[in-house]
Amino acid sequence: MLKNTKLDSKKQKKLLSVPKEESTSLCGLCRGTKLLCGRSRCPVLVKFHSRDKVTPLIDKLSLSGSSPPSVFIGRFGYPKVSIGPMIPPVMGDTSLIDTPELWLDKSIDDIVDFRSMLIRGTYNVDVFDVENPNKIVGFTRELALSKNSVFAEAIFDKKPRGRIAFYDSAQPHGPSAPLKKFDITNPKYEQHIEKAFYDTDLKARYAVLDLYRDGVKISKIQRAFSVGAFGINKYRRFVPTRWSITAVDSMLGKELMEKTKTRPYINEFRIYYLNQFDNRWIVLMMPSEWQYELIEAWYPNTTWNPYGSSISMFNSYEFYKSRTTYAEIGGCYYAARLAVNELLNKERRQAGAIIMRESHPGYIMPIGVWNVRESVRRALKEPYRKFDTLHEALVHVSEKMDIPLQRWIKNSAIIKNQLYQKRLEDF
Amino acid sequence: MFNAKVKSEILKGIIDVTAPLVSEVKFNITSKGISLRAVDPAHVAMVDLEVEKKAFEEYKASEMELGIDMDKLGGIMRLSSSGDIVSLEYDETSNRLIVRIGNLVRKMALIDTAGMPDPKMPNLDLPAKVVLKASEINRGVRASEAVSDHLALVVDKDSFELFAEGDTDTVNLKLPKDLLVSLTVPSKCKSLFSIDYFSNMIKSVKGEDPISIQLGNDNPVKVEFDIADSKGHVKYLLAPRIESE
Repeated sequence: MLKNTKLDSKKQKKLLSVPKEESTSLCGLCRGTKLLCGRSRCPVLVKFHSRDKVTPLIDKLSLSGSSPPSVFIGRFGYPKVSIGPMIPPVMGDTSLIDTPELWLDKSIDDIVDFRSMLIRGTYNVDVFDVENPNKIVGFTRELALSKNSVFAEAIFDKKPRGRIAFYDSAQPHGPSAPLKKFDITNPKYEQHIEKAFYDTDLKARYAVLDLYRDGVKISKIQRAFSVGAFGINKYRRFVPTRWSITAVDSMLGKELMEKTKTRPYINEFRIYYLNQFDNRWIVLMMPSEWQYELIEAWYPNTTWNPYGSSISMFNSYEFYKSRTTYAEIGGCYYAARLAVNELLNKERRQAGAIIMRESHPGYIMPIGVWNVRESVRRALKEPYRKFDTLHEALVHVSEKMDIPLQRWIKNSAIIKNQLYQKRLEDF
Repeated sequence: MFNAKVKSEILKGIIDVTAPLVSEVKFNITSKGISLRAVDPAHVAMVDLEVEKKAFEEYKASEMELGIDMDKLGGIMRLSSSGDIVSLEYDETSNRLIVRIGNLVRKMALIDTAGMPDPKMPNLDLPAKVVLKASEINRGVRASEAVSDHLALVVDKDSFELFAEGDTDTVNLKLPKDLLVSLTVPSKCKSLFSIDYFSNMIKSVKGEDPISIQLGNDNPVKVEFDIADSKGHVKYLLAPRIESE
């Protein structure tokens, strides 16, 4: 008897592990036709399609095209990183390809399509070597300061390889190859950025703030930031693209947040709602002192929960006094914080904000932190629902979201604080 | 008018008990000493502080209000070492506080006190009172910080207990009556508090110095202790967490 049960349990273990092992090879059986992996679209196919379109165009060592403008600074090997331009094999105005502010109305397929056209040239430099006399370095920096698309020619050491590269915070891009030669024609600088570039006594922080106030798009500021265009001369350096995105979001958000903290409270509980790329967004604003939280719920088979069998939830938060450590959930925390403070600053009001994100299985690949910033910005442009009490607002949350309210509360520091922490006036 | 000289440790002590809760405060200055009462931005905690004239090396003042940015004052005081005598002088013409540490002079712009509220101390019935050594409770709070964000304070007729419960771990500190300085309990009292706030309130008290804690059931806690070589006194009030609806 004992032997038997032992055998049984062994068998069971084996049986249980079988589907897991097979899941990786499911794609081979399916090839995008049966969607055996359970996603609503095949991620392999999406990549494959976009590669198909671009491969014939770049099967050679030279490339000429109109850069949106776009650059990429890698982070591996820091402080020795690979920098370089990104060029699509097409002419004309390509600025859309590197302006995420304009992408919300596109489908994920479209975005992957045009991003994968970007061929990335790489050249290794030390991050502090921004004044390197090599033309590749100089032209890459000039490209990042440009206002419009720039005609660019590149000769590679070898044929661009790879398919499409995805990142957690940066936008995806296409194949890459080491650069041998790189030339650009007549770049015209964005005037505000140019001014900050030549001001070698202006701290990077103030350059970023000034540009933002002058209405320069975040993606443009971030691009120039990544090539070390701002700051006191001796401190200028290349900043890996993904770090520069969060650096800019965080600096701007912090500045606005300090203003928010001095303003009068909003008068009601508000709920803003948006469904974008199969992500459901709720922004809950409370008439309280500034406090902020971003809670993300990933369904199984979404980007960041590909193999899980249950929903996983993550949160980061800050109370009035702000955080002293980097947010656990990363750059999206800062991107959303900026978006919330933009609205509060416009209204000259203070509020506590809780952002809830429910990522459903239609969200199959990471497309960058811009998605968080722009989605929250868009959500906050929608008309909001007003409530008199937190309880009424939370009931509305449970109507909009699939995940039960209790689970949201359990995973939220700010909601719990609001529900359970009494105030001195209560006594 | 306000013109005083004070030991750097005493001024630092005042900053330590105030700055964690509020960054901008209004000091009420009289000929007898200085005092302040402020509530944190979330309205969860209150600090009430009095320092007598005797705590200062020299003290000359008439009735007035000083609006001070505690972060600024803390910044300049970090440059002083213990034993330094700090001179504080209010300059009426420029509306600034002149802080002198040796030959170092900081002229500090003051905050307008016109809009700053005078919070009222709520009337509370807190039946239990326990006095204990700072080191004992500090240990319990530090251990609790690792497992949860809130802790329970419980007082019954023969002990004081501190309890924190996290998702997986718990921390418990039980002090029987003979380890306490004093204990007055008509009936068992228990309330729940945010560790973050509570630890800010008690961490400036060191070693054997006594802390007095007054407690009720699901009521705020009142924490009191002396500062400035017993020539000053601090009262804190902290609102509880109540987890049931």
